[in-house]
Amino acid sequence: MEMEKNSGVVLRTEGLTKRFGGLVAVNNLDLEVYEGQICALIGPNGSGKTTVLNLITGIYPVDDGRIEFCGEQINGLPSHAICWRGIARTFQNIRILGSQTVFDNALLGKGYGNGGAGVFQIMFDTAKHRRERAAFAEEVDEVLKFVGLDDVRSELARNLPYGRQRILEIARALVTRPKLLLLDEPAAGLNSAEIYTLMELIKKINATGISVFVIEHRMELVGELADWVFVLNYGSKIAEGTFEEIKENPAVIEAYLGKGRD
Amino acid sequence: MNNLRVFWNRYGLLIVAVLLLLVPQFTTQYEFYVVQRGVQNAMLVLGLVILIGYTGLMTLGSAALLATGAYTYGILLLRLGWPPLLGTIGAVLVTTLVGTLLGFPAFRLSGPFLVVTTVGFGEIVRILILNWEPLTRGPYGLSGFRAVMPTTRGVYYVMVVVLALLAVVTERIGRSRLGLAMKAVKEDEVAAEVMGVNVRRVKLISNALTAALAGLSGVFLASLTGYLNPDSFTANESTTYLLMVVMGGMSNVVGSVISSLFVTVLPEVLRFLAESRLLVYSLILLVYLRIYHVRSSKARAKSAGSRGRS
Repeated sequence: MEMEKNSGVVLRTEGLTKRFGGLVAVNNLDLEVYEGQICALIGPNGSGKTTVLNLITGIYPVDDGRIEFCGEQINGLPSHAICWRGIARTFQNIRILGSQTVFDNALLGKGYGNGGAGVFQIMFDTAKHRRERAAFAEEVDEVLKFVGLDDVRSELARNLPYGRQRILEIARALVTRPKLLLLDEPAAGLNSAEIYTLMELIKKINATGISVFVIEHRMELVGELADWVFVLNYGSKIAEGTFEEIKENPAVIEAYLGKGRD
Repeated sequence: MNNLRVFWNRYGLLIVAVLLLLVPQFTTQYEFYVVQRGVQNAMLVLGLVILIGYTGLMTLGSAALLATGAYTYGILLLRLGWPPLLGTIGAVLVTTLVGTLLGFPAFRLSGPFLVVTTVGFGEIVRILILNWEPLTRGPYGLSGFRAVMPTTRGVYYVMVVVLALLAVVTERIGRSRLGLAMKAVKEDEVAAEVMGVNVRRVKLISNALTAALAGLSGVFLASLTGYLNPDSFTANESTTYLLMVVMGGMSNVVGSVISSLFVTVLPEVLRFLAESRLLVYSLILLVYLRIYHVRSSKARAKSAGSRGRS
């Protein structure tokens, strides 16, 4: 573990702090996600978990501290540039384009402005644009097959059942070819069969070498998936360790269940 | 019904273009002029399909860009003696530049704030034209420049061909990765940005393309009328352009071309009604929008219902 400390770190935050007015939403947070790991970030409601994801993906500016991705500082970069470097995410409330097809939603993960065919090449439909189009279509179809959405490729996204819309959001994130995948409560609103499918999918994604950082409430999911768990309360990290260690940690139990009266 | 739709999607544009090419055979000079204006308006409205329909950026300043194109063309020909082709290129470039510059302050705005900004921009341009007399001849109007083609029919045929090409390009953009990025910006800017869409660049491109089309439309307007006056570029005109793109179905290319022609021709068709003309004109448009709106919201409700069942 010590040896790979520097080489294998995908994501590192140091002293990460975010304030909203007088409220300290994230306080002096240090995180480290290693290559190939599945890490979980847990904590009671309002403890600042989603804020952490919004800071990592550049949606909120960082007040203090720094975020490093593969050794490069990324806080201060615009969100699309952070995506291009290899961080993709999903949202707690699904944010897909309902009026577009499943295929087009996934294709959006290819972004725009990241090289490739420019506006004139699109206007004149040059050979380069056609090649790019074909290559992207193939790639998107591969991802849809990988996540099991190939049967609804041409459906409008809003006609999909809720569980599959969540999968579609993950597919879109995979199309960006991430090194690190951030999942914000992926199991929210899913039934147990759908959660099982989701867990298998996350394992399958991780097996391709993509590190996963997941915010989750459901302990059975965290216990099943996570190699390493961070616990957040009132914006501060109160514990970290394997799930077994965390489970027994008195500070964590207190944060979740309150103090016993003994 | 479905076959008809497929057929229309494939050949609709071609049919409209062929019909437009035949128009000069059957019309009086005045009717012909009105159709010409319709084609010229359609060019600008294609730009609004990109800006409003695809990218979801509202604007009420289109007339100002039209004026920029028309006046730049006139001024380049009159004052600098440029030939029409060079004048056209110059006018389109200048309008693109102006429209793009307007895009910068508009980046951070959306909704009503953006609309108010574009209205303000429209007024600024109109007042500038009105008062910059040495260059624009202000209220006296600008005239005496050559058209892009020697004959009126020549101008018209060029316009129809250019319009058809632009429609193809607009459609192509809509189906491309860029068009998808535009629609993503419209539906959810944050999600688009996080998925690697450079939202600023997409907005910039939308603004630039729209301005270029408005500038080109302005060149043809100048060629059709041979006379430019600041009064023809009021906020009223901008509203009419907005109406055209809304009636055309926002992001529907062929629909927008047809609705541009329709909205241009309608007031002339209704001329026999004399005083009540504008009343009937507005009523027809309202009824159309009402039917269209109800139909499309029903379609939305239907697809939302099917999600509940599955």
